[in-house]
Amino acid sequence: MEADIFVDAKGLSCPMPIVKAKKAIEGLESGQIMQLESTDKGSLNDFQSWVKRTNNELVKVEEDNDVFRFFVKKG
Amino acid sequence: MAGTLSVDQLHRKMSQDESVFILDVRNPEDYSEWKIEGHNVQSLNIPYFDFLDEDEALYKDLPKNTEIVVVCAKGGSSEMVADMLEEKGYQVKSLAEGMRGWSQLYVPVTISVDEHMKLVQFNRLAKGCLSYMVISEGSALVVDPGRNIEEYINVAKQENVKIAHIMDTHLHADHISGGIDLAKQTGATYYISSGEMQGSNESFEPLEKHRHVQFGAVDVEVLAMPTPGHTPGSTSFVINRKFLLSGDTIFVGGLGRPDLGGKAQEWALTLYETVFKKVADLPDDVLVLPTHYADIKEINERGYVGATLGEIRRSNEIMRTTDIRKFTERVVSAIGDTPPNYERIVGVNRGTEHVTDQEAMELEIGPNRCAVHHQ
Repeated sequence: MEADIFVDAKGLSCPMPIVKAKKAIEGLESGQIMQLESTDKGSLNDFQSWVKRTNNELVKVEEDNDVFRFFVKKG
Repeated sequence: MAGTLSVDQLHRKMSQDESVFILDVRNPEDYSEWKIEGHNVQSLNIPYFDFLDEDEALYKDLPKNTEIVVVCAKGGSSEMVADMLEEKGYQVKSLAEGMRGWSQLYVPVTISVDEHMKLVQFNRLAKGCLSYMVISEGSALVVDPGRNIEEYINVAKQENVKIAHIMDTHLHADHISGGIDLAKQTGATYYISSGEMQGSNESFEPLEKHRHVQFGAVDVEVLAMPTPGHTPGSTSFVINRKFLLSGDTIFVGGLGRPDLGGKAQEWALTLYETVFKKVADLPDDVLVLPTHYADIKEINERGYVGATLGEIRRSNEIMRTTDIRKFTERVVSAIGDTPPNYERIVGVNRGTEHVTDQEAMELEIGPNRCAVHHQ
């Protein structure tokens, strides 16, 4: 999937992955895609919950070798 | 920077009957599943990411004149939110280690003490898990120890006793037993029914060979009574004919779930036999001390979880449902969510699966789901 912005939050713990995601997505236009990578297990639940409350859309989540890759479409 | 509060400090605050205001900043799904509760605890859930927007409306329900304790999963987000609140003039502390820390808190409460024996209940508040220490003449028996074995070692040190016997009432499915580790650390004997440990390489004493365990003062009698139903090898311990350490067989508010082996009907029938044949012989004044509870309301005014058999017989209809068909129907239909990760937890407790400390912590995080109410 083509992303419009890439955010590396690997090695950071909560709340930083979401703090970074919020900052990055503010700079996008509606419909554009942010890709964020995190190694924090808690970020899986938090991303699902965060997108719901912010009207963004979690298009896809991939997991490989303990890295979570989130693709979020700006609402 | 806002200060932090340790889980011990929070518990002290809660037990001093101070009113406690908790702002839980985890996501709403996690909050509705599992949170800090107490008689005098008021809690409010606003996820930490909501605070990233400058929205004054968020603050309208937060008290200005009471200390707010901010709680999250591990203590990171709560610090961020606590700092934000402090800047706005609130009195605020962040709970160090968050719910992870809270899940490691064990509170010992003395249930009974006389010249021969002292009986202590350890309440792991976050999980609704209970374990016990029976102390007599310099030695101690521990029943159903949780994973954080230093809690028992510390109390044994304070009491100046040696832990000599460790017993698990059954193979636990919702939390990791500290039994084997505590036995290795202290040199104590570890007992569990061998039916529960099939395929295990760990060393243990089969409980079925030790119906009576002589222990401490000659007046302390420990009777291991098979009470199958929750699991086939479930065993209860009758101490001095006065206390029934019932494991997950009988709770203050109901009976153990019979479904975690995939044979709910069959195990429900053995639970029926246990309730109406074995336990039926015990008198009403025996104090039932279970391994779990489902609701903080079960903590009585003396600070422990327990009730006499008479009280339990009176307040639980299921204890009076002698019709075998109705009984099995009711215990099978009352089953709620299965404990998360229970198959892996069973594997760890049986010694067939090995995990790191970190993995163990993650496996058993969350509320207890073995205690089911049958009201």
